[in-house]
Amino acid sequence: MMLNDQINNLKNEALGEILESQTKEELEKVRSLFLGKSGKIRELTKNLKDLPPEEKVSIGKKINETKKAIESAIAEQAKKFTAQKQSSWIDVTAPGEKPAEGHLHLVTEAIQEISSIFARLGFKRSRYPEVEWDWYAFEGLNMSKNHPARDEWETFFIEDLENEKYGKGILTPHTSSGQLREMEKFKPPIRMINIAKCYRRQSDVSHSPMFYQFEGLVIDKNISIAHLKGTLDFFVRNFFGPERKTRIRPFHFQFTEPSFEVDVSCGLCQGKGCRFCKAGWLELGGSGMVHPKVLENGGIDPKIYSGFAFGWGVERTLMMKKGLQIEDIRLLYTNDLRFLKQF
Amino acid sequence: MNILISDSWLRDFLETKANPQQIAEYLSLCSQSVEKITKENQDFVYEIEITSNRPDCFSVQGIARELACILPRFGIPAKFKEPPVKETPPVKNGLPLEVKISNYDLCPRFTAIVYDNITVKPSPSWVQKRLIQSGIRALNNVVDISNYLMIELGQPMHTFDYDKILKHKMILREAKEGEEIITLDGQKRKLKEGIIIIEDGEGRIIDLCGIMGGKNSETDENTKRVLLFVQTYNPTKIRKACQALSFRTEAANRFEKGLDPEGVIPAIKRANLLFEEWCEGKVASQLFDIYPHPQKPKNVSVSQKHIEKIMGIKFPLEEAAKILESLGFKTTIETKKESLCAQIPHFRYDDVNIPEDLIEEIARIYGYHNLPNFLPPLAPLDFQSESNFEYESKIKTALKYWGFTETASYSLVSENLISDKNASLKLANPLTEDLLYLRKSLIPSLLKIAQENPQEEKINIFEIANVYLPKGKTSLPDERMKLGILSSEKNFFQLKGVLELLLYELGIKNYQFSPSQKQQYLVKEATITLNSQEVGYLGEINHSAFPWLTLQKPLFVLEVDLLTLISFANKEKKYLPLPKYPPIIEDFCFVFPPQTFVGPVLEEIQKISPLIASVKIIDSYANTKTFRLVFQSREKNLEEKELSPIREKILTHLKNKFKITLKTNQ
Repeated sequence: MMLNDQINNLKNEALGEILESQTKEELEKVRSLFLGKSGKIRELTKNLKDLPPEEKVSIGKKINETKKAIESAIAEQAKKFTAQKQSSWIDVTAPGEKPAEGHLHLVTEAIQEISSIFARLGFKRSRYPEVEWDWYAFEGLNMSKNHPARDEWETFFIEDLENEKYGKGILTPHTSSGQLREMEKFKPPIRMINIAKCYRRQSDVSHSPMFYQFEGLVIDKNISIAHLKGTLDFFVRNFFGPERKTRIRPFHFQFTEPSFEVDVSCGLCQGKGCRFCKAGWLELGGSGMVHPKVLENGGIDPKIYSGFAFGWGVERTLMMKKGLQIEDIRLLYTNDLRFLKQF
Repeated sequence: MNILISDSWLRDFLETKANPQQIAEYLSLCSQSVEKITKENQDFVYEIEITSNRPDCFSVQGIARELACILPRFGIPAKFKEPPVKETPPVKNGLPLEVKISNYDLCPRFTAIVYDNITVKPSPSWVQKRLIQSGIRALNNVVDISNYLMIELGQPMHTFDYDKILKHKMILREAKEGEEIITLDGQKRKLKEGIIIIEDGEGRIIDLCGIMGGKNSETDENTKRVLLFVQTYNPTKIRKACQALSFRTEAANRFEKGLDPEGVIPAIKRANLLFEEWCEGKVASQLFDIYPHPQKPKNVSVSQKHIEKIMGIKFPLEEAAKILESLGFKTTIETKKESLCAQIPHFRYDDVNIPEDLIEEIARIYGYHNLPNFLPPLAPLDFQSESNFEYESKIKTALKYWGFTETASYSLVSENLISDKNASLKLANPLTEDLLYLRKSLIPSLLKIAQENPQEEKINIFEIANVYLPKGKTSLPDERMKLGILSSEKNFFQLKGVLELLLYELGIKNYQFSPSQKQQYLVKEATITLNSQEVGYLGEINHSAFPWLTLQKPLFVLEVDLLTLISFANKEKKYLPLPKYPPIIEDFCFVFPPQTFVGPVLEEIQKISPLIASVKIIDSYANTKTFRLVFQSREKNLEEKELSPIREKILTHLKNKFKITLKTNQ
């Protein structure tokens, strides 16, 4: 019975000291005095071994309960200290401590946005070679060796790179080279969005020798101009805003028939006409219905399938967003960190 | 290619009440794009972009023809007016011209006519004004006629002084290498083989065909007799000649697109009139017309089904036929076959060849704006994983939130950013020396960016881009996507930690960093391997390896092969029930011999017992390192009798294998 009393006394002693403690440190001392490795509870348990077995169980249980009671009293008391601390004054206007700050490149953000919009229409992302054969970039797209249409693309050629079957090695001047690559790899239906680096021998405020294009290609049975229009409209309203309109106009490319130029209504003047646009419209880029010859070159029967394609510059599309009138497109690739850290 | 034409000139060919804004808008919507309208006094000038397939539109006449069929569709009446002409009169004992054409393939149609009694003087002022509005210099009435008709009809022509063509003989042939001509602009031009030229009876070259005439036969103020020259040429030959000579003219721009041989005679008839009205000229020869292979009628058919398939709506054949007729096609509806057959007008002969070409004509005049908007059907695709793109995006986002800024640099670099130029791809026609080689590593580009941003106190940047590893002269290079990181703030271990956390995010566990000396521009280098496959390296830049690098501070970099990395990524999540029994945590303080790698030690400890749940270094000072071990069993409370043999084993293993001892308190 003596042991039982000791336990009760110890419990009362502990609870008293806990309540009297004024600081976290004092409380910690109490904790270690009673619950520590060589604390008073531990001392008590040493006595257990001398007890008869039936008492051993009941006393053991009692010790355990005491331990739990002390623990919970300590936890209660600790809360008071925390609460006290919260009530004291702090300067809430002082700057916060931020986690490290980083930035994604504008073009990366645009690519992520573009691909997620097309993902919702079930387009699959692809990526094809930047160093490409003439066949995929020109010849296979219905532009024979001396075709004047080739002049539209100021092409970089690679020294000492030529293949008997595919012609000269070049830096691809457009993502349209991915059309034939995609057709070689997959059978219709095809819904591709190919976003990749392209290169042209041009450098001025609106042309960078390296730039990105995104190329859409849809091939299935009965794909029509109406499907192209719907897709363009879906993209434009998601990317630029629901108030923006699209239109297609006749144009000419060797690899589409018919071919179109795609316009988006100007975001600055809402289509009324201003100095940034042409009578209320901004040119987004080219598109068209895939030329039957190109389908054939890609191993697809144009009697069964039809398709549409479009290919636009990522940077140009990006800069048509409000607030991004960057005066020189090459700023995107000069890597001035003062520029990159703005976004 | 753009053309400038004035509103007043256009209205010579077009009867309509449409205003210039309407003309511009509807022409752009259904045909060629009007880029700009400029008001000039009482007139307007349209700048129109002409697509390369429509040389017929490269003229006032062509634009008027289009408008005559477009404007009525917008409810504005319009009618095409043929220009006034003068038939070529029969001439008795006309002036002679002997023509020899070496190969008709060079010149499908050759025509010429001589006018006598010419008075050379300035053109009427309204003519000069129109030419200037179209961007062409007015010279004198003779030269102006040829330019005026080029803009008006799209057919370039040339005028010779008939008396300067010796022996009145012309031989049209391909030039031989090294022959020379002085062109009208006074430039001496060395010719290349294959360029089409004309020599006269004395062997002098008098014309650089389709591009510019020769100085030696030009008309001047004393010219009395003019030889007017109207041809069509092989477009490829003209184009090649322009490229070979690096020389282009308005005439060449038209010839290289391929001109309509049937347009030649109407042009002569128009010229007859203008020479008479502006120069008092009289026709003084027969019309020389060499046209051995006249155009045969060409028909293209298209089915109603096909029209519907491409336009996406039901479209009556009668309506389609009506549109084509308005554009100058002759159509027949084949009711049984549900198709229509169209005969191509001569001025569209080369442009319209396949059913899709007819559909374009029908759809554009019907109006693309009148077609509905549909979304493509979501038919199932061949499966292809897009995880590379997902991971790439995830990695970029992670690095951003860990304080790195993404850069985007050119794939092309200058010679001093390439380590082995003989084994790198080089451009044959570079724009500048800065963009000459295709890079094989991202690190030099990242260093250059660090160098060019001296204002930054600390630099933490990364880029994901391809590098290009040549695979011989007949194969495309291996394009490998790399992740490159550069930091002037983080040390070796902090950068290593970034990569380790990245690997953790990708679910990659089995990786190793081992000491190496492979990159000549690194000191303190580690090679990174995944499942014993090398994926990249990490290290400190050896500044002396880059003579241009003036930055003083230490720079740490890493470069890994991204797609290999991603190939080991694992999205699988495993569930382990939460432990029911408490862990036992013990700290050990070890003394290491100098230069002992700690990685293998950690691995060794971990391997000793499955009861070791984790082992970490929590403190490190000189050769002393404190390890924290967590022992845990999933079955029961651990007791001393189970722990002590494990401790023993750890101590003996470390001692035997690494000569590591437990630090004793002294």
